[in-house]
Amino acid sequence: MDTTQLLKGVLDLAVLAVVDAEDGYGYDVLRRLRAGGLSEVGDASVYGTLRRLYAAGALTSYVVPSEEGPHRKYYGITPTGRDQLARQTKDWRTFADTVTDLLQGAAS
Amino acid sequence: MSDHTTTVGPQVEAFVAQVRARLTDLSEDEREELLGGLEADLVEKLADGADLGDPWLYAAELRAAAGLPEGRRPLVRTPRLRMPRGEDVDRVLDESRTEWSALTARHPAGARAWEVVATLRPAWWVLRAWAAVTLVDGWTGPWERVSAIPTLGVPLLGPVVLLAAIAASTLIGLGRLWPGSGPDRPRLTRIALLAANLMALGVLGTVAGGGSSYLASSPTWDSADYGGYPYTPRDGLRLDGSPIRNVFAYDAAGDPVTGVQLFRGNGDPLTVSADQAESGWRPRAERTVGCGWLNGSRQLFNVFPLADRVQRRGTCLDDADQPASLPVPPFAQVPPVTSPVPPVVEQPQPGEE
Repeated sequence: MDTTQLLKGVLDLAVLAVVDAEDGYGYDVLRRLRAGGLSEVGDASVYGTLRRLYAAGALTSYVVPSEEGPHRKYYGITPTGRDQLARQTKDWRTFADTVTDLLQGAAS
Repeated sequence: MSDHTTTVGPQVEAFVAQVRARLTDLSEDEREELLGGLEADLVEKLADGADLGDPWLYAAELRAAAGLPEGRRPLVRTPRLRMPRGEDVDRVLDESRTEWSALTARHPAGARAWEVVATLRPAWWVLRAWAAVTLVDGWTGPWERVSAIPTLGVPLLGPVVLLAAIAASTLIGLGRLWPGSGPDRPRLTRIALLAANLMALGVLGTVAGGGSSYLASSPTWDSADYGGYPYTPRDGLRLDGSPIRNVFAYDAAGDPVTGVQLFRGNGDPLTVSADQAESGWRPRAERTVGCGWLNGSRQLFNVFPLADRVQRRGTCLDDADQPASLPVPPFAQVPPVTSPVPPVVEQPQPGEE
């Protein structure tokens, strides 16, 4: 099964979870998502998602200047983002349980 | 997490410029919001040994993930029917430059190749100087073969002019003689320099592509009917890379033979090309054109020796009322030869009919 389609539905949730654990800049968030097992995720998808969550008020952002290279843009989670994370985590669990039950029913 | 930082390389810069170009329909704020921090991320991506990939696909993915409407790839605008304004010219030149930088920077291999090409610039400065002098030489002097050092018809003038041209071309290349390289030069200078470089390319292309070491700017025999033989007119007989313009045959007794038709083992005619059979290349000047042997009204260029005729324009067929003449063979007679195959009664060969 093509996991990229599945990923699209849960990327917001995954990104929120990663940033909730610790503030991060784009490439850092990407790296942590990949380290967490989402090896297929594309960097532009992650950056776009970060920007969209920021625009929606779920994330805050701040720039950390660098003397040697270009500035890094860090993202942190906002209370709105935490609410969204909690809500979507619950939704995901319910959804995953439902699908798991369905699959078990089909298998038995 | 790595804290690796470097300055932004041209590759990342060009990539971001390409992505930016696909976000032009967004507001300034939206665009900067999307692009903020992108350079740092891409620098790290490169440092991890990853490819930057295609900026267009990248921008599309970025837009989709950010929930923005799919942008349209900016098309090359259809030119409206008006004289281009100066700013348009500047914009086209600037955009081409950016586009090219992005193109070469898109893949590491491309960037490296471009670096190599860039180091060869001095060679180009010499070549274009040579091309310019050769062009002048071609339009002023009598017809002649293109030579490494253009003659310009006067002893020593050619080498001196060539050296001066190389010096000037190099100074322009270095930006000493004319406002340097880059987009800040005056518009006319950029256009003039571009045109001069293109013209030099044209001259070099003509000399190299013709392969015949003539600047064949005159009407040639391309329009002649070659009778459907499976060959292209420009690929004619060659020896050590040089085109052969005529062939002289002698029989076993050593006497010249005329009207020898030559073919390869596979049945293809051994032809000289029409280009190769002519000499002298200035348009409208008198030159010698080769005249193929005739099969009906069709000219054949695999029958030797080829006749020739001096005329001012067109092909041998265009001036048919003037008689063509056979060229003088290089030897009146050559030593007689004997065949290595035993001449008389042969053993019947098995399998032979």
